[in-house]
Amino acid sequence: MSLLVLGVNHNSAPLDVRERLAIPANRLADATRTLLHQPGVREGLILSTCNRVEFFTEAEGAGKPDLRAFLQNYFSLTPASVEPYLYELREREAVRHLFRVASSLDSMVVGEPQILGQVKASYTVAREVGAVSTSLERLLQSAFTVAKRVRSETEIGSSSVSIASVAVDLAHRIFGSLQGKQVLLVGAGKMSQLAARHLMQHGATQVLIANRTASRADALAEEFHGLAVPFDQLKEHAPKADIIITSTGAHEHVFTRTDAERILQRRKGRPVFFIDIAVPRDVDPAANIVEGAFVYSIDDLQQVAAANQAQRSQEAAAAEKIIALEVDRFQQRLQTLDAVPAILSLQQHAEQLRLAELDRARNKLASLTPEQQAAVEALTRSMMNKFLHAPMQGLRDAANSGDMDALNAVRALFTRDEEKKG
Amino acid sequence: MSTLWLKVAVLLYGIAALAVLPAVLYNRPRWKYLALPACVAAALFHFVSLTETLAAAHRFIPVEATEIQAMLALLLALAFLWTYGIYRTLSLGIVLLPVIFLLGLRPAFAPGQSVLESPVLRSGWIWLHIALLLAAYAALILSLLASVLYLLQEKRLKSHRTGGWISALPPLATTDSIALKSLLIGLPCMTAGLLIGSLLAQQMYGVSYFSDPKVLLSFAMWLAYIAMIAIRRVAGLRGRRAVFLSAFVFFVMLAVWSANQVSSVHQYAVRP
Repeated sequence: MSLLVLGVNHNSAPLDVRERLAIPANRLADATRTLLHQPGVREGLILSTCNRVEFFTEAEGAGKPDLRAFLQNYFSLTPASVEPYLYELREREAVRHLFRVASSLDSMVVGEPQILGQVKASYTVAREVGAVSTSLERLLQSAFTVAKRVRSETEIGSSSVSIASVAVDLAHRIFGSLQGKQVLLVGAGKMSQLAARHLMQHGATQVLIANRTASRADALAEEFHGLAVPFDQLKEHAPKADIIITSTGAHEHVFTRTDAERILQRRKGRPVFFIDIAVPRDVDPAANIVEGAFVYSIDDLQQVAAANQAQRSQEAAAAEKIIALEVDRFQQRLQTLDAVPAILSLQQHAEQLRLAELDRARNKLASLTPEQQAAVEALTRSMMNKFLHAPMQGLRDAANSGDMDALNAVRALFTRDEEKKG
Repeated sequence: MSTLWLKVAVLLYGIAALAVLPAVLYNRPRWKYLALPACVAAALFHFVSLTETLAAAHRFIPVEATEIQAMLALLLALAFLWTYGIYRTLSLGIVLLPVIFLLGLRPAFAPGQSVLESPVLRSGWIWLHIALLLAAYAALILSLLASVLYLLQEKRLKSHRTGGWISALPPLATTDSIALKSLLIGLPCMTAGLLIGSLLAQQMYGVSYFSDPKVLLSFAMWLAYIAMIAIRRVAGLRGRRAVFLSAFVFFVMLAVWSANQVSSVHQYAVRP
């Protein structure tokens, strides 16, 4: 295997550089095909996301593909404009890098789940254009397995780290399923709209919108396929909502503790989740004391997100250990595979010799009964297998321990005649 | 032989109780593949053991305290499996499985040796009376437990804290639903159980039956049970107050349980 990775990511390059190198999904197949046609490239894969653009290649024979030249030609870039931001990894380090990328350890938000899907999408494209066969196929399948192992054996992706996803996570903890839950959007802040959109993606169906500017409420109602309610009737509509997201510019509390008590009374104790994204706050913090009312301000949500982020960092350390083990295992498997052709050729060579010797002795053995001939056949096969056992085991051991000298010596000793013939 | 099966069942409950801890508290879902089969197998062995014990005694009524304890443990195990089947949550198991394990210990390792004395126990109706009341007790225990889990989750959400083992608890809506549904299942069981018991006692003992302390306490428990459901339904009682109410009814239930000692109509068995 002769693996090479060249690329940029969110750590090595600023956004404008990544933008210049980004390959849209509809051009990925063409770009992969072009990469495959580069001299010295036997297999290739391009991973292009908003945080990284990476080129994985498996070299043909002893050739070394010039991926820098490919980059400069394909994107019409000068070397100086991209060189400082590039990283290049080979062999073991390249394997480790792909495993880390697929497991979301190299992501901007560690543990985010999208990256594995993006690697799989790149793999699908590369396979479709015939750019992935034995070596990269083996590597990518291992990367998917490792990523799955990291997900299942660590809690790297179990907690939310963005404000909107924290809000959805908390809503799930209160209501279980969000199917059929009503959301009341008070005010029209961007963050509150994002939170509402996230909640709807997770099953919340009805959205009520209250805004001091009626036209703005109508526009939002149309956008969310919801219903605008007059701002002065807000308190009457509030008990219908399971989740109330507030982001007004009001200087006093829109919902007080007494309001929360009334809402809970009218809801017969069914919980209500206040997501207060406004600064200054729209919901009186004292409303959180009311049984059944859960009030989260922007600071509370950020604290939860930060705590989850810290937890992910701890889990990342455990994930790195898994990756290190899996890289070792992958390398060992490759070395074992290196021994397979030598073992096969040794077996074939010995079998040919055995059959040739039996053929030569055919006339002398003609007087034997079929049973006796079968016994001779079995005897020669048994002798051959016993003779080959030690060298074959030596080949396997040499491959497992990565002892290339021993591997080559065994190969040289037992396949010399065949090589001469060849 | 029957205690051997019960010992196996108790051992399996113990394994399930341990396996459920990493599955719930450490977010290691693979452990559920040990906890659930262990619990199912334990319930099966438990059922076989109970049936064998009663068959060997030529009766199908658990009259000995250890037999009743074993039957309650079995009903709780079935309630746990039922909640898992419906809500896909193992969280109740972190408390319920150790309770089942402890309830099973005495019947498995120190079973009672009483024999039947009362002829009323020859009736199949008495079996239904005991089984229905035990089912109602199991439902009440499950409801109390779910209410406690609700309270813990509610406190965590209100404190704005994350992480920790409490984060593995089921959502509020789930525990609330378990608490209410188990009560709704328990009520008809208790009503029918008490009704059957009253009719049988009426035949056997006449009106004196209604002055028995256990009987009076049983009817008090029934009223408390109804009141609890009504308050939960009408006022939407949840959280702390729901736990207090469930705990109150639970203590009434314990009082009813222990009232056997002073009840003249519930002395079915004697030591040989």
